Amino acid sequence: MLDVSQQSVAYLQPVMITAAIVCALLAAGLLIWYLLRRPPLDWRTKILLLCGLGVLPIGTAMMGNAATFKHTQERAFCGSCHVMGPYLEDSSDPTSLSLAARHGRNEYFGKQNCYACHQDYGMYGTVMTKVGGMRHVWEYYTEYHAYTLDQAREKIHLRDPFTNANCTGCHSMNNPGWRGQPDHAQLLDELLDAKVSCLGAGCHGPSHPFSKDPVPPPSAEDAGGAR
Amino acid sequence: MKVGFPSQEKALRAASVAALVALALMVWSFLDPSPLAMVVAMSVGQGLGTLSLLLFLGVVAVDIVRNRGSKPE
Ligand code: HEC
Ligand code: HEC
Repeated sequence: MLDVSQQSVAYLQPVMITAAIVCALLAAGLLIWYLLRRPPLDWRTKILLLCGLGVLPIGTAMMGNAATFKHTQERAFCGSCHVMGPYLEDSSDPTSLSLAARHGRNEYFGKQNCYACHQDYGMYGTVMTKVGGMRHVWEYYTEYHAYTLDQAREKIHLRDPFTNANCTGCHSMNNPGWRGQPDHAQLLDELLDAKVSCLGAGCHGPSHPFSKDPVPPPSAEDAGGAR
Repeated sequence: MKVGFPSQEKALRAASVAALVALALMVWSFLDPSPLAMVVAMSVGQGLGTLSLLLFLGVVAVDIVRNRGSKPE
């Protein structure tokens, strides 16, 4: 019954998703029983309906949220809207030298690299960012869906400027190797106060070179300032 | 016996149907976790589910208040 393909949440979180579906089936059983039998509203019916309308569906929603939350961090999920295709392709290309792709190779978060760098907004985290992620999907289906890839590259940009905290959450700025790097050393105070961006020409930008390039395709020359 | 019974039952039947739709949407999003399914499940699905629970709680509250009020009379 479960579709256990590589893309399915059931593949990633089998136990949680199975439990969520079992809750849903039990709840559905109770509700169908109520609809067909039309029992009077005595205390027994109230308790059964409390399970069918309250406890069990809440269980489904909570376990489902927990499981799908993981799934939405996957690069493949980000790339499933076609306008993100080139980003997905670039990050999955083992020869790409873009900064994003170079963050897509380690075992720890390589498969969730979009999330790793873009997690302060969008699809992730708290209720607020969940709402933000819904906006992305809404905008996709109302607007970007019809875009060609060229239009998408031209029109889709970050809503808020990228903050250094998105990089420094991992790159702590505290290690000797990092501090010894001449540009870092020279700008240390500004970097620690986030007055100077990690991105930009001569530093670590752009992360997705092809998205800034008026002419396709993504070239391997722009290494995004690897140091 | 009770005056409000038919509408009470109607409300609970509506809540049950809404909850069934909500559950179906949620299960759909587990089996086909595309962004569209996910967003529909999390908005329409969880919204309907919440509404159905509120409807049920409302009916039960009215029922309790009514039964309490009818006894002294
Ligand atoms: C989730 C943690 C994480 C975040 C966020 C992150 N990095 Fe990295 N970064 C790493 C890791 C781990 C590596 C080493 C990757 C490897 O060796 O496969 C790395 C490597 C690098 C490198 C060296 C690449 C190379 O080819 O030598 C640079 C430069 C870099 N990061 C800059 C940045 C910048 C700029 C940002 C913000 C836009 C950023 N990183 C965000 C974890 C992170
Ligand atoms: C190394 C961290 C990093 C990773 C990994 C990463 N991004 Fe980005 N992304 C950035 C930064 C920084 C910017 C903004 C400035 C820029 O383009 O360099 C950005 C910009 C974008 C933009 C806006 C483009 C524009 O022209 O304004 C999109 C869309 C985007 N990223 C999607 C993705 C997707 C999809 C993935 C996963 C396949 C991904 N990113 C992975 C760091 C990253």
